[in-house]
Parts: sequence; C-alpha cells; structure tokens
Amino acid sequence: MNAPDRILPRVGRAGGEAHGVGARLPLVDGVEKVTGAARYTADLPAVGALVGKILRSAWAHAELLEVDVSAAQKLPGVRAVITGDACDMPYGVIPIAQNEFPLARGRVRYHGDPIAAVAAVDEATADAALALIRVKVREQPACFSAADARKPDAVLLHDNKPGNIEREVHNEFGDVAAGFAAADLVREETYQCAEVHHAMMEPNAALAAWDVERGHLTLWSVTQVPYYVHLTLARCLKMEAAHIRVIKPFVGGGFGHRVEALNFEVICALLARAARGTVRLLQTREEAFLTHRGRPETHIRMKLGLTRDGRVTACEAEMVQRGGAYGGYGLVTILYAGALLNGLYDIPAVKYDGYRVYSNTPACGAMRGHGTVNARFAFESLLDTMAGELGLDPIDVRRRNLLKAPTDTINGLKVMSYGLPECIDWVEQASGWRERRGKLVGDGPIKRGLGMACSHFVSGSAKPVHWSGEPHAVIVLKVDFDASVTILTGASDIGQGSSTIITQVVAEVLGIDYSRIRLIATDSAITPKDNGSYSSRVTFMVGNAALDAAENLKRILVTAAAKRLGVSEAEVDWLGEAAAVVGDPSRQIPFADVVEEALVATGTITAKGTFTCPPEFQGGKQRGGAVGSTMGFSYAAQAVEVSVDTELGTVTIDKVWTAIDCGFALNPMSVEGQVQGAVWMGMGQALCEETVYENGRHKAANMLDYRVPTMAESPEIDVHIVESIDPNGPFGAKEASEGPLSGFLSALAAAVEDATGARIRQTPFTPDRVFDALNRNPRPAAAAAANPTATAKGEA
Amino acid sequence: MGALSEFRFFRPASAADAVRLRGEFPASRFIAGGTDLLPNMRRGLGGAEALIDLGAVAEMKELRRDGERLHIGAGVTLATLAADPIVVSRLPALAQAALAVAGPTHRSAATLGGNLCLETRCQYFNQSEHWRAANQFCMKLDGDTCRVAPKSSRCYAAFSGDVAPALLALGAEVELLGPQGARRLPLAELYVDDGMRWLALGADELLVAVTVPLVAGRASAYAKLRVRGAIDFPLAGVAVVLRRDGDTLAELRIACTGVSSRPELIAGLDELVGQTLDDAALATMERQVKRGIQPMETTLMSVPWRRRATPVLAKRLVRRLWDEAKGG
Repeated sequence: MNAPDRILPRVGRAGGEAHGVGARLPLVDGVEKVTGAARYTADLPAVGALVGKILRSAWAHAELLEVDVSAAQKLPGVRAVITGDACDMPYGVIPIAQNEFPLARGRVRYHGDPIAAVAAVDEATADAALALIRVKVREQPACFSAADARKPDAVLLHDNKPGNIEREVHNEFGDVAAGFAAADLVREETYQCAEVHHAMMEPNAALAAWDVERGHLTLWSVTQVPYYVHLTLARCLKMEAAHIRVIKPFVGGGFGHRVEALNFEVICALLARAARGTVRLLQTREEAFLTHRGRPETHIRMKLGLTRDGRVTACEAEMVQRGGAYGGYGLVTILYAGALLNGLYDIPAVKYDGYRVYSNTPACGAMRGHGTVNARFAFESLLDTMAGELGLDPIDVRRRNLLKAPTDTINGLKVMSYGLPECIDWVEQASGWRERRGKLVGDGPIKRGLGMACSHFVSGSAKPVHWSGEPHAVIVLKVDFDASVTILTGASDIGQGSSTIITQVVAEVLGIDYSRIRLIATDSAITPKDNGSYSSRVTFMVGNAALDAAENLKRILVTAAAKRLGVSEAEVDWLGEAAAVVGDPSRQIPFADVVEEALVATGTITAKGTFTCPPEFQGGKQRGGAVGSTMGFSYAAQAVEVSVDTELGTVTIDKVWTAIDCGFALNPMSVEGQVQGAVWMGMGQALCEETVYENGRHKAANMLDYRVPTMAESPEIDVHIVESIDPNGPFGAKEASEGPLSGFLSALAAAVEDATGARIRQTPFTPDRVFDALNRNPRPAAAAAANPTATAKGEA
Repeated sequence: MGALSEFRFFRPASAADAVRLRGEFPASRFIAGGTDLLPNMRRGLGGAEALIDLGAVAEMKELRRDGERLHIGAGVTLATLAADPIVVSRLPALAQAALAVAGPTHRSAATLGGNLCLETRCQYFNQSEHWRAANQFCMKLDGDTCRVAPKSSRCYAAFSGDVAPALLALGAEVELLGPQGARRLPLAELYVDDGMRWLALGADELLVAVTVPLVAGRASAYAKLRVRGAIDFPLAGVAVVLRRDGDTLAELRIACTGVSSRPELIAGLDELVGQTLDDAALATMERQVKRGIQPMETTLMSVPWRRRATPVLAKRLVRRLWDEAKGG
C-alpha cells in the first residue's frame, strides 16, 4: 500500500467491535435531524424579528445612476432601507482579491446583483417597499462567455483587470518538450464542462440581532465558515470583531456554496444595525442560484504524450474558466485546476496555462472537488482515448503510471500514503472488468458499457488563507463536577459528519461512553476559532487537534487516577469508564471519582489540543509550488456501468463501484455515505445538471429546470474502503468526501464509449446532447486505427 | 418563490355551490390539489381574490363503473387513479400517465381535474416576477410578445399534462357544470391550441368528471420523454391505444402532450386500420406523429431532439402493444 510501516493504535478494533474510531457510529446529530427537532437558521425563534428583503439587479451590466429609496422609507412598517452607501468596504474570501460589495456601488455586474435592501414589519410591507425603490441605470455591454469577455474590445467588468482576466497562471514543471519528444503517441483534444451549482438542500438564511445599547451584533447563518463571516462582518460594518458573535446552527448542506461570506449575511447585519433591531433574511431558491459560487463553465485543451506501453511522458493543459462577476475563490480554483493535475499519477513533466475570466454572470467559487473536477474529466478522458489507440487497457495504463509513496511530485506536493493501486485492484475485480468490458450485451437500441477512472483530493489545504501564525486547528475539552466531557469546536458540521468524527476521536482516546460526551460547535462566543469546512480539512486537521486535546486531557486524568489509587502513573490501568491498578483489577475507581480527584484545588478542567501543518508540507519553494499542498491525498478509483438508449439518447447508470483510500476509516458508515454522495454529485454534473443563462438571466434557477438527479436515477453504489494509514492523519485518516467525485465524469464518458463507440467530450450528457453525438460523430475507433502516431486535433 | 398573497377561501360541499361561488367572485379560482396553482400564485403567475376549494365536494371524488364506461370524478387523486384496479387492468395508459406525473407526494394531492386543466408551461413564463420583469414579460402574462416566437400573434406555451393524452387516445368525455347546467363534450373539444386560452371552459364552468369507454380488446400505454425518472414535466408524452384483430390493426389512436398548446390527437392513422403492422405501417405512423406535433422552445431541451425522439417513443409503444395483443 506504499505506506510507511507504522503501528496503528487501533484500541477499539483489537478488542473486537470498534468503540471509538473505526466504529460504524450513527451521526451524533442524526436524531435531531430525523425527528425534526434540529433547528436550522430559518427555524430559529425570534419574536418580533423584522423581515429583510433584497432588491436585485434586473440588468446584467449597468452603471447605477440613482437609487431613490425615499418613497420606500416613507412606507408605514418599513424600518430600514439601505443601499450601496451602507458599506464602502469591499470584501472577498481571498485577502488579495476583494472586489465585491454587499450592495452594489456604482455598478451592477450580473442579473441578481444586490442593489438595495429593506427591513419591514412583515413580508408584504417589505415587498411593497422594494417595489417603491426607483433605480436609474445606464446599461453597459455585457459578456456572458469567457470567449466574449477576452475579446480585445470587450468592456471591462473591473477596471484594474485588463482583458477581464481575473488570474492568469503559467507553470511548467519538468521538461514538457522533451517529454513529448520521447512519446510514441501525442494527442491533443478539447473538452467542455457546463457550469454547475451546489443545489444544497437548505436555502440561504440569516438572522441578525443588533444590541442597541451596546452596539453589538449577533448573526446566525447557514455558513460553512463562521470565522470568515465574522471577519467579513467586522470589515464591512467597521466593527470590532470583539463586538460580534457569529453562530452557525444546523446547516442543511453546503458543498462549497457557503465557504465564503456571502452578500446576504452582510446585508442582514447591515439591516439589523440600520433598523436597530432583529432582522430575519430568508432567501429563495432562485436567490441561491444567483448567489451561486458553483463550478465554472470550463473549456479545456488537453495534450498528453504516451510511450507505446502507456507511460505518460508529458502533459500540457490549457484551462479557461468563466468565473462570473466577482473574485470569490476564483484564483484558487484556477490554480488548483493546474496544480492537481499532479499527485494522482507519476507524470515527469506538466505545463499548465490557466485563465480565470470575469463575466456578467453570478460569481463562481469553490464547489466540492474544487478545481479538480473538470481538469480530471479531460485528463482521464484523453488517457482513455489514447490507451484505445495504443491497444492498451485503461486499467493497465493507469497502473503503469502509479506513484510510490512517500514521494514529492514535480511541483513539490508530498504524497505520504497512496492506496490507489489497491483501489484499482478492487474496482477491477468487483466490476468484472476483465470479463465484462467491451462484452456487455445490450438489447436492440439499448447498448451497455463499462468505464473507469481515478481521482484524488487534498485533505485540507496546508497553506491557510489567512496567515496569522495560529495553529491550523484547535479543540478545547471541558470536564467539570458532573464528570461529563464537553467538546468545544469551531468546526462546522454541515451534514458531512465532522461533529461525529471529533466525538469518536475523543471517545477513542479517553475510552469513555458516548453518553458522557457532548459537543458544542460553532459559536464564536464559546468555541475555539476554526477556519471552516472546506478543502476537506476538518477530519485531518481538527481530527488531529481533537486527538491532541484528548491525549492532553487523558494525561491529567491519569495523574489524578494515580493519586487517588495511590500508585504511580505508570501503574494506572486506564479503562476509560474506570481506572485500575495494573495487575490488580480489584483496586478500581469509576470515572467520576477520577474527575473528582482531578478537580481538587483546580476546579473545572479545560484541555486544549492543536494541530499545525509543518512548514515542509506547505509547498515547495518553486513558483506555484504552494498550490494544492496538503498533508495527505485521498485516492479513488471507480467503475461505472451504463445503458444507453441509442434511439432516444438517454443514459441510465446501472451500477457504480467505487474504492476510496481514505487512509483509515474513522467511521466506515460515514465514509460510505460521503463516497456515495460524492459519486452521486459527480453523476449529477455528468448526467443532467447545468446552469443556463440567456442574456445573463438564469433560466434554470429552480429545482425543476436545474435537474439534480432524483432517487429514480440513483444507481447502486458499492463502496470499498482501502486503508493506507497515512503517517500524519488522525489514526491514519485522510479525506473521504471530495476525491471520489471527479472520477465519475470520465468513467461515464468511457462507459458510454464502451456501449456506443462515441466519445462525448462535453458535460452534461443530456439526452439531446447524447442523441446528437450518436447521430453525428463517426466511430472514433475506425478513424484512429488508420494513423496511430499522428497528432490529432480536437473535433468535438 | 414569494409568500401567497391574501385571498378569501371557500370550501363548498357541492359542485353546484362551487359554481355559484365562482359566479359571485369573478376573480376567483378553483383549487383542488393545488400542486400547480399554488406554486404559480407564489411566483406571481396570476393571483386570485378568492380560492374555492373543491376538496369537500364528495361527488367529484367518485370513481365508479357505469356499465361500459368508467366515471372518474375530477377530484380523484392521481395516486388513486394510478392504483385503481379497473384503471390498471382496463385502461393501463391512464394508470401509467397518472403515475408519470411528478413524484409520489405530488400525486397524493394532485387531482385528475387539475392535471387536465394544468396551466400551460413555458421557459419564459414559469419564472419569478423579477425574472419576467427583467425580460419585459411575455404575451402570456403582463407582456405583449411571445418570447418563443416573437413575431407570432399567439402564445406558444406548451400544454404539459400527462393524463390528457391518455384520455384523449381512450376517447374520454368530460362533464362540465356551469350556471346554465351540465353539459358533456369529447375531451378533445375541451382544448384549444393557444397557450393563453387552452381550455374551452365557459365562464364559471367547472370540470366535474371524466367518463372513459371500456372497450373490449383494447391495449393501451403511455410513455414520456424526460431527463429524470421523476419530477419532470413531459418534454413530450405519447399515449397509444391499439386493438389487434389477428394480423391486422382494428384500431390505432395516438395522442401526444408537451408538443403544442394542447394535447394532440394524431390524425391520419385511420389508413392503417385493416392493415398488418409491418415496417411500412410503422413508418407511416411515425410520419403522422411527426406531422402532428409542433414542439417549440418552451423548455430548455432542444426542439430537434424532442421532434425526433417523440415518434420513436410512439413506435416502441405501438410495437409493444401489437406484440402483447398477439398473446391476448
């Protein structure tokens, strides 16, 4: 498995059924969710809260000449009307790319850009007030595609960004020219991915309470990143951070929509201050689509060199992303897309040219599999196509290009554990690859096929967004007279199960019952700061901090137990719910007695644990080396079996086999759920999801036209867990929730090709698109066989 | 979606009372399951001063056999319809069509009458008020241009009910109740190919029931083009009714939905009656289906695909029913 030899402290598993880590523990907050007791932001009781509403731009690009709110202010029941004048501080998650205002100032840049907001006594009054706001604009030419935005005469969205280029990336690692020269086959192809949206279940909502006497603010929101929201509120409201409290209640999914502070959160706070009261701001589904931050429409030109036996000699990729109207996470997306071409296979030379382009559409951002998904679709697709030309099996080609851990990639990424070989082995076996690929029998116009692909993702970005010198993660444990253990964490559980994982780690180390443990999360007044739930950092980083905290607490408790038992610490046999003397089980005291002893002369105990990524993991010194740096990559392989109705163009996913190397499954049930969710989300992008803009107006901003797959399309997804035991992850664990997503797209494309002979290079595979591909493209196998060494140009 | 605007609410106990209330309140709407009306109202696609709830009208929930006809009250839910033993055994197209609507929760509330009177749909109409305003509205509501066919003098919003084509192919009749009393007419006459006025209901008229002939030897089926296996409205839907007499077709009726502003009964199929179902007959049938449908850009899915895939759906249903009828 390529992992260094390491003794794993698998306390639970050694004694039979796992109790702490490794246990199939139902999510600790699952009961509240399934019984309906969980309160989400929109459910929070707030008697007398005003209703907040946002007036949004009806223009894709316009100069704001006048926003007249005088009539709206006079309407009885209106408590506040605010415009861009309310905040002159631009914000944005990346400190060097802050160019968004909560309410537009001077210019609107997409259909839906907030212009003004009201707080009123009820919804009808708020609606009436919005209707009274008069907006005068001078419309500007708008760009709706990256190609249009890059034209020399295109109007600029941001004056300081010539060519509407938000960020340009040019990197070369290794000698690409030499690599292509050494190749037996060089191919270049273009791929295109439609923009997709997170479609998280819970719509956006915020509740802001302004403390008039103190001038303090409390904000509850649906965020994945309460800390970033806190910083943004302090910035935009020009307040002391100490006067702000941010609370994240239960959150119904995020997938990256909520990994940066969003305009409605700041607007809600501004309204509460202006109205000197409490404001609840509920957003429609359409407003979530306009706030967006999804995966950008991407055009990819991919070029690979392969030796006759399938060894990759060089990779050259050009990626153009339509980023939308504002910066957001954009520059990270375009950097990740290039950097993470590495880290999955052993590639000696990679050249990358990336262009993040502004456009008059809602801003894109970080979406599950951030940056990697569309690039992986292109890479894996072309690898398959070239393997076919060389007469090689897709699995054999991938095996030929495996890494060997521990290693550094050419761009300085550290690969410490690498279970991809085992993932591939399992998928090959489970899917019946050798016997079934190319041999599946269809039924008349229904053709069947099998395809596979690999993928990976980071376990947390080793380089933090804000370099403050703080640890990457902090956990506090509190023990008091009642002998309960309270975990205080800033980690945002958004349904992915972070609270459960943290609880399991603490239970594992202390060996105590779950009923004794309680977890309080994400309230800036109570819990330690956490950077948030993004880049799959929480299990790895916060899990390690929890491990550290629990060990620190255990030391205190063992000392107390030794004192009470009248023996040395080395003689204490720690049993979790009790402590005994080694070799004399009859001399035993219960946990409560241990705690009682520990509290003598000190009272309430708080034990802290931290985790910091060592500098050597924060990227190599070479230019572009810090991008994508992480302490551990997850690895995944998957096979997809499809039926294609060649007369109707419909694609049915019959079955998916996915193997994940998550290092160590802290909770196998949770890992399986996360992997199935990732595969399913990849399936949505591959099969049917896409945003659609007409003159900048989002035509599919609802759950009927934005087609997220339903239960009816959901195939059986077999999940196999490979445990490579990462040397740095908590108990060897790595991320499990983003890596398996990106492989789906090309695995599907390969399966469709296996079924029909047609290779589709554009997502999603909607029936009309598949129908066109089947009725237009010549069979590529026939064309390719004619001249296997020529350099082909894209035809899609 | 916004909140519902304020309205008066009535819950009459009889169809006659419902019709009377409708006359008293000109800006009123009938509501049954509400699965179409309420989202539309919340989007500002037509309001109502008063809603007349048909949920307490017992006579509209009757589902009974009257000799060789099945009487189905307009208030029967789609879930009931899809599971009814007579419908399933004698009118499978109707059961399949009812089952093809939305998802289980919708079908448990949605009614036959509601699906037959479904508001026509269009990508330029089924949008929020803010969206429509930014697009200067459209002919169907608040505007004067059809965004699908800007030069047209009519609205092309598509009729997208699943149940209507099944009943059309099965030769159903509707029972209407108005201030002047009851009347019956063939279902086909209920519809007009106009996205704004697609129902030939008179002022204050209420669709009370549907009756369907139970014809011995008839096989039937319904299928729809959709991207997802649930939720989606038909991108096109096809209902086929077929009777086979030995090696010849004794009857062939096909109706489509989602392909114009009304459910379309396909013309020109009579010439196939008395013939066997060979490739030539199938080709004729496909040609007539293609001729009988005019999908427009009312949805996000491409028109050429919908036009080409619809006859394929028809061909499959016809062939399957033909083969199955051989055994029966």
